Amino acid sequence: MMVAEMNAMQMSKIAVPVIQASRVWKQFGNGAVTALKDVSIDLRENEFTAFVGPSGCGKTTMLRIIAGLEHPTRGRVSMNGATITGPSPERGMLFQAYTSFPWLTARRNVEYGMKLLGVPKAEREASAMEFLRLVRLEKVADKYPGGFSGGMKQRVALARTLAQNPSVLLMDEPFGALDAQVRWEMQELMIELMERERKTVVAVTHDIEEAIYLADRIVFFSCQPGRVKADIQVEFKRGRRFPKKEDLLAQPGYTELEQHLFAMMREEIQAAAAAA
Amino acid sequence: MSASTVQEAIVERATGAGGRSELNESPIYVPPRARIFEFRSKPSPARAAVFAAVGLGAFFLVWQLGHYFSSDVNQKFFPSPVQVLTALYTLFAANNFLADVLKSCYRVFASFALAALVAVPAGLLMGSFKSVRALLGPLVSAWRYLPAASFIPLLLVWFGPNDTSKLALLFLGVIFFLIALVVDNTEAVPNEFIEAGLTMGASRSKTLMDIIIPAAAPAIMDSLRNMIAVSWTYLVIAEIVGAQDGIGAVMMRAGRFLKVDIIMAGILMIGILGVFTDVLFRTIARLSMPWAFKR
Ligand SMILES: Nc1ncnc2c1ncn2[C@@H]1O[C@H](COP(=O)(O)OP(=O)(O)O)[C@@H](O)[C@H]1O
Ligand SMILES: [Mg+2]
Repeated sequence: MMVAEMNAMQMSKIAVPVIQASRVWKQFGNGAVTALKDVSIDLRENEFTAFVGPSGCGKTTMLRIIAGLEHPTRGRVSMNGATITGPSPERGMLFQAYTSFPWLTARRNVEYGMKLLGVPKAEREASAMEFLRLVRLEKVADKYPGGFSGGMKQRVALARTLAQNPSVLLMDEPFGALDAQVRWEMQELMIELMERERKTVVAVTHDIEEAIYLADRIVFFSCQPGRVKADIQVEFKRGRRFPKKEDLLAQPGYTELEQHLFAMMREEIQAAAAAA
Repeated sequence: MSASTVQEAIVERATGAGGRSELNESPIYVPPRARIFEFRSKPSPARAAVFAAVGLGAFFLVWQLGHYFSSDVNQKFFPSPVQVLTALYTLFAANNFLADVLKSCYRVFASFALAALVAVPAGLLMGSFKSVRALLGPLVSAWRYLPAASFIPLLLVWFGPNDTSKLALLFLGVIFFLIALVVDNTEAVPNEFIEAGLTMGASRSKTLMDIIIPAAAPAIMDSLRNMIAVSWTYLVIAEIVGAQDGIGAVMMRAGRFLKVDIIMAGILMIGILGVFTDVLFRTIARLSMPWAFKR
């Protein structure tokens, strides 16, 4: 009895939703486009969720509503019970476009969010260097990002977002603009960061392999109107994170999940083509 | 370690991978001669200098030849480059031209500073907030289509033929274009920069001050540089209004006595000042925003 209760308590603690989106609708152009139709998603603490699906299915829209950058037409999105009405440093966002500020050095970029939060200068500087080390940019801390490669610019933005210590990290195709090798390096870096920083993460991605590698849970969107087609726990990983990506590929269950997701993707694309 | 191995090691370091001997074993490659017309390829500094000299030299040569082959009567109206340079020298040496030049500089820079003081904040606010744009936009675009010179009679009635009317004309000549340019520069700031600020908890004023202004600053600096050039082009028109002093006034007076060499010297002087202003603005931009010039 006692044991069962304890387990139930622990379970509920793990399963506590940080973000609750219930019955969210989003229309653009006075109802001309329904980007999201009655979407309900709970994001659980410390869970890495990937939003996957073809283009134009409302993944970005849902992410932006969670960030508070967009208002839902109908429905309610809340964080720890409080309705989200605008952006907050509690929910950090990493964009696909490079947002490291070119007028600040890498170090000042990372400090900027902390400065807004009123972190004292000394603490801010130490913390910024720590995050730059984490994304392996400590050597260029005092350089401006103008001359950086895409991967480096994105790592500055990532370090800056992590430095504001958000409890929820939102990423919209964060590695989509990077070439294959750099994307792979960034994915492995993400795994390393997730081990260190316990965070609730949502990442929008087109890349099925990336979704399986990074996520504990994959929410698959279907198109026109945008809805949740499938909500899949990545069971075969059993909560493990693989520092080396090739180790994941060897896991039993990996191929089946990948095939399943590719089949769903094809289904959606064909449905969209038939509708058009 | 023998002397020769040390030598070899140094050579190896100097040439990067592989020693000189290995490099020398590879067949000699003779690149094709650099062609003059090669798409997007930069001429060597020496060649570029020669080309620049040829371009300028050709201009002065054609001018000199034009003068040389003109009839005696016409030569008075088409002085040679040397005559123009002499006239410019005489202006400075004997006619206290420096005072006129300084006066003109004062007019251009003072009126432009005022215009920038109004246009930059207005443009930043219009580019950042659509409501401010709705408020001021129609007004600004309507003004842009009115030729500044058409205000001369009005300015003369209001202020009289003095400095104020000249400054006002130069101000009116650039202010509305400058606002429109700053609005464009501000709207060109990527949305993601602003949204990144908001998701970091930046207030609206912080977002404006810390993100929009520095992000738009290099482009605004370019707009200022281009518009002060326009201000120089308005100078002569402004100084016709009750011509007393300034480069334009000197040129107008020379016109009355058909002294074409002095008119041309004035044009040359304004050109030189224009180039000087351009270099000045570029230098300021380079020094104040080094990050925008690193690639
Ligand atoms: N600001 C907007 N105005 C009008 N339509 C939009 C806007 N943002 C998104 N949409 C539309 O909403 C739908 C979903 O877009 P989005 O969320 O960006 O999809 P995804 O990220 O899955 O590719 C698309 O049809 C898109 O054209
Ligand atoms: Mg998207």
